[in-house]
Amino acid sequence: MKWLGGALPLSVFWLAPLLGGLAAVSFTANDPAAWRAFFSHPQIWHGLALSLATGTMGLALSVAIALWIAAGLHGNMAWNKMQQLVGGFLSLPHLAFAVGFGFLIMPSGLIARVIALALGWTTPPPWVTTQDPYGFALLAVLVLKEVPFILWLIAGHMQRPEFSSLLNEQARVARSLGHGDGSIWLRVVLPQILPRLLWPMVIVWVYGASVVDMALVTGPTQPPPLAVIIWGDLNNAQQALNARGAAGAVFLTLMLVTAGLAFASAWRLFAPLLDVFFTQGPSGAGAPRRFAFALLVGFRSLYVAVFLLLFLLSLTGFWAFPALLPPQMQFSAWSELIESPAPLLNSLSLAFVSVAVALTFAIAWFETVDERFDIAVLAFSLAALTLPAILIAQGQYFLFLHLMLNGSWFGVLLGHLTPVFAYVFIVLQGPYRAFDPRYRSVSYGLNTDALRFWAAIKVPLLKPPLLTAAAVGIGVSIAQYIPSQLIGSGRVSTLTTEAVTLASGGNRALLAAFSLVLMAIPLLAFTLATRFARNTP
Amino acid sequence: MKVTRRQLLRTTLAAGLLPVTSQFSSAADWAALESEAKGQTVYFNAWAGSEPINAYIAWAGEMLKAVYDITLIHAKIADTAEVVRRVRDEVKAGTVPGSADLVWINGENFRAMKQDKLLFGPFAQSLPNFKYVDTEGKPTTLVDFAEPTEGYESPWGMAQLTFFGDGSKIVQSPDNMAELVSFATSNPGRVTYPAPPDFHGTTFVKQALLETIGDRAQLSRPVTKDTFQAITASMFELLDRMHPHLWREGKQFPQRQAQLKQMLADGELLMALTFNPNEAANLVAGKALPFSTISWQFSGGTIGNTHFVAVPINAKARAAAQVTANFLLSPEAQGHKANLATWGDPTVLSMNKLSAEEAKFFATSDVAGSVKKPSPAIPEPHGSWVPLIEAAWLEHYGA
Amino acid sequence: MSLSLHAVSLTLAGAPLITAFDLVVEDGEVVTIMGPSGCGKSSLLAYIAGDLTPPLLGHGRIFLNERDVTDMRPEQRKIGRLFQDDLLFPHLTVGQNILFGMARGSKDQRVEKMRLSLQQAELGGWEDRMPSTLSGGQKARVSLMRALVAEPSCMLLDEPFNKLDEELRTSMRAYVYSHLQSHGIPSLVVSHDKADAPRGGRVLHIRKSGEIVHA
Repeated sequence: MKWLGGALPLSVFWLAPLLGGLAAVSFTANDPAAWRAFFSHPQIWHGLALSLATGTMGLALSVAIALWIAAGLHGNMAWNKMQQLVGGFLSLPHLAFAVGFGFLIMPSGLIARVIALALGWTTPPPWVTTQDPYGFALLAVLVLKEVPFILWLIAGHMQRPEFSSLLNEQARVARSLGHGDGSIWLRVVLPQILPRLLWPMVIVWVYGASVVDMALVTGPTQPPPLAVIIWGDLNNAQQALNARGAAGAVFLTLMLVTAGLAFASAWRLFAPLLDVFFTQGPSGAGAPRRFAFALLVGFRSLYVAVFLLLFLLSLTGFWAFPALLPPQMQFSAWSELIESPAPLLNSLSLAFVSVAVALTFAIAWFETVDERFDIAVLAFSLAALTLPAILIAQGQYFLFLHLMLNGSWFGVLLGHLTPVFAYVFIVLQGPYRAFDPRYRSVSYGLNTDALRFWAAIKVPLLKPPLLTAAAVGIGVSIAQYIPSQLIGSGRVSTLTTEAVTLASGGNRALLAAFSLVLMAIPLLAFTLATRFARNTP
Repeated sequence: MKVTRRQLLRTTLAAGLLPVTSQFSSAADWAALESEAKGQTVYFNAWAGSEPINAYIAWAGEMLKAVYDITLIHAKIADTAEVVRRVRDEVKAGTVPGSADLVWINGENFRAMKQDKLLFGPFAQSLPNFKYVDTEGKPTTLVDFAEPTEGYESPWGMAQLTFFGDGSKIVQSPDNMAELVSFATSNPGRVTYPAPPDFHGTTFVKQALLETIGDRAQLSRPVTKDTFQAITASMFELLDRMHPHLWREGKQFPQRQAQLKQMLADGELLMALTFNPNEAANLVAGKALPFSTISWQFSGGTIGNTHFVAVPINAKARAAAQVTANFLLSPEAQGHKANLATWGDPTVLSMNKLSAEEAKFFATSDVAGSVKKPSPAIPEPHGSWVPLIEAAWLEHYGA
Repeated sequence: MSLSLHAVSLTLAGAPLITAFDLVVEDGEVVTIMGPSGCGKSSLLAYIAGDLTPPLLGHGRIFLNERDVTDMRPEQRKIGRLFQDDLLFPHLTVGQNILFGMARGSKDQRVEKMRLSLQQAELGGWEDRMPSTLSGGQKARVSLMRALVAEPSCMLLDEPFNKLDEELRTSMRAYVYSHLQSHGIPSLVVSHDKADAPRGGRVLHIRKSGEIVHA
């Protein structure tokens, strides 16, 4: 019965809300009138095309760029530097990044102002740089945000001692067979890494195809991506439109599943054509070191620029085009943020408690349940992360209505726990299960009891993955918008819901200040995690 | 099991509602309500995109705490429609108490809540401070988008479609929709309006309808899908003419009025629109717009309405919510709200009904950015127009 | 074909590891270098192959058939290698592993050559199997064939039989050395096991001082 200790809390507080939410949303979507209304909406097909295109292009470009950087920097001194850099950037909330990046590229943004200074423009150029009808701006933000995530995953896999030394030896063999570094990356390393990136890539793809908050800030408007149409319906005053939105959320999910399956079968069909590429013989192609380095420097500069720009904006009132610097500085945004600390405190408490609970649940599971059942939790975790947040959160909102959990901090916590636990479990599962059982035997031989062994030996040795999982969890919790907004019912406001509300009023200084705090918390979490992980003996 | 429980809750709700709907026959009743309100917490669900508005609500909260021992919490909302949906879902699920005690509302959101019996009331006319309301001079305090309020919402402030821009760049401000078309033609790409269903955008389209419809009386009556197309043909003809000259050739629209404001401040647009005639003056005071900013209304009149506060039927702090609504109607609160240095939202009260002492709360002054020649406010079309206008607009320009 | 080393030496973070020595390995000859672990014998092979990594540094010139390859990139040297592990690529079939290093050219000829080499590995017709389904000895033979079809100018073997069990080791030694000799490839084997040296072949020892001496 020991396994109950790990399985029970997980089932009650994580699995039940997840499955209950999915059941609730399918129940509400069972309304023929809503489906008819949905299919007669003039924008859905265009919106669906936009959603699928931004998701797919976002994934393809992010993966291509991340692989390019990895190919060029792998085995180089810059690789370690890259890893430190990426760790900090990967957990930045998309929304905050979108706000800062938007002000860089918009027609009255900083780039346009610099050009205006040179060319003597007095009015902003008619650029279509944000909220363009094709979603390029949204795509750019998605890519800029996902590249560090994918790089982090690649680095994480390649860092595993057994795998990295195996790759090194395989590279030696390949070199002796006449293959250059570029060819080795493509023909030896990549085919072994990509399968391990499958689920993260699905997560990135679904995220890009169903994102709401970022699409509201930088996405196309007429028509917007499907997820934005659905979000508008879900928040409408008319009951019929709410039902239409629920149907839409189910429809978007079905379309994503269909597209995913179609891609999988197409892949199965055409993958053998790639064999020619692997077997055509040696190529001396070198690694794109300079290009990769330039890409890395470019990314880094953009991130720093966005950060500085947000800081400047947070101190700025009226700043008309084409002035390169704001006419005066003011601190009203920061003082307002400090004067109403509820969103900050809610965000912090939700992040820390959800991560603490997730870590506890995960460790309880690992310690009491046999490894062969991990696959079930992994499957549900992947479901929690790959199904659109708009679907799960909508379902949980309906479920929590009956449980009187909406509008409560605890309800929002459960909503956050859904993705946070999923990420924590996925990050921890490998390292925790790979923990060498011989340590236990040795330590029991030295008359150590189980608890002492766990606290004094196991936890310190597993510190790096535990800290990484915690940092990832904090980043995930801080960035949650849809569940906080729906389940919070206006009573539990977080930094993210507050930022979107502020965006509705267009106070850019306040929005920038909130975005900076939104970015700073995960960045801090990651920096601390890296620092303390390094102190491990 | 579930259904019976839900039914039970609904019955309880209905039963609890009956005694409170009766009018306050005496000052004693009101005093009883005030003492009941003591210590209660009011979750005021109000749009929170504006710093001055948030600051005003915070001020009201301090006053309520000090005078009535009521804790006012501003539940910050990006769109009031989400409150309508939430209250409806809560009532359907039988959630007691609900998440909202007071809602800032008007128009189709009010109509939806009233029709679906999601509002507590009638209570507005029995508020002691309602006697100050200018129901004759401002008929929209009783009729919201052609929908009689019947006491289910209490007036809070006045709104009228107003345009504003940089006076140093605008030589001749357009005075009606037709002139606006020529203004856009000679300033291509520098004019736009928010896409419906943003209510500013919907109002802009309604203004176009108002100026192109033959018989305005039709607007105060409910409309059906069958007649809608013919009535709106010349309005869409006007929009068709205007759109190619708008920002991004009328193919993309900002989603919210706030974006317009920002684009005006950045110099991307020449003019913007608002529902608060004093918004521009307020922004100038807050150094968000230059001193050369001007505001104007079409001399033939622009759409005007009133915004209200209402109490959801499942509100927990029903007593405190009414006390809050009453406080928001007080000369002091209304005067503070009308002050350009705070919010600049026009009052719903009648100056003639105030004593000299009470009138002192209202300081009038001519400041930069305010409307110089106010024009008549034209009542909103009947609420049934809104969904049809929004759907038709989407049909025409959405894809 | 021949492999010649001229005044080759190794240093670890500036300290000498192997002192300068000369060596010529002739056509089809297998020279064995013996030494305890950590003496630098694997690093010596890495230097010859061109992928020695700091803080280890190599000095001296390396000639293949009178051609100085010291400044060439590893992939240009045509130096084949075998390690303790078979290092077959797990994502490729047995046949694809063989084709991986075979010079480009007509598809039919390459496939024919691959089939032939599998027959020599006593694995005729196994080209579509995945490496994970093979036994240790089979994998080792495929690994050798993969190196040979790349037509190397010399071979470097780093404890190649270490992980095989005793019985298999003897037969693999015979198998590997006969193929290297029949292809006429000059080869260097490093090992700590005397038995790994082919009968009658030259054997060198690395002493603690870093000096390399004939047995």
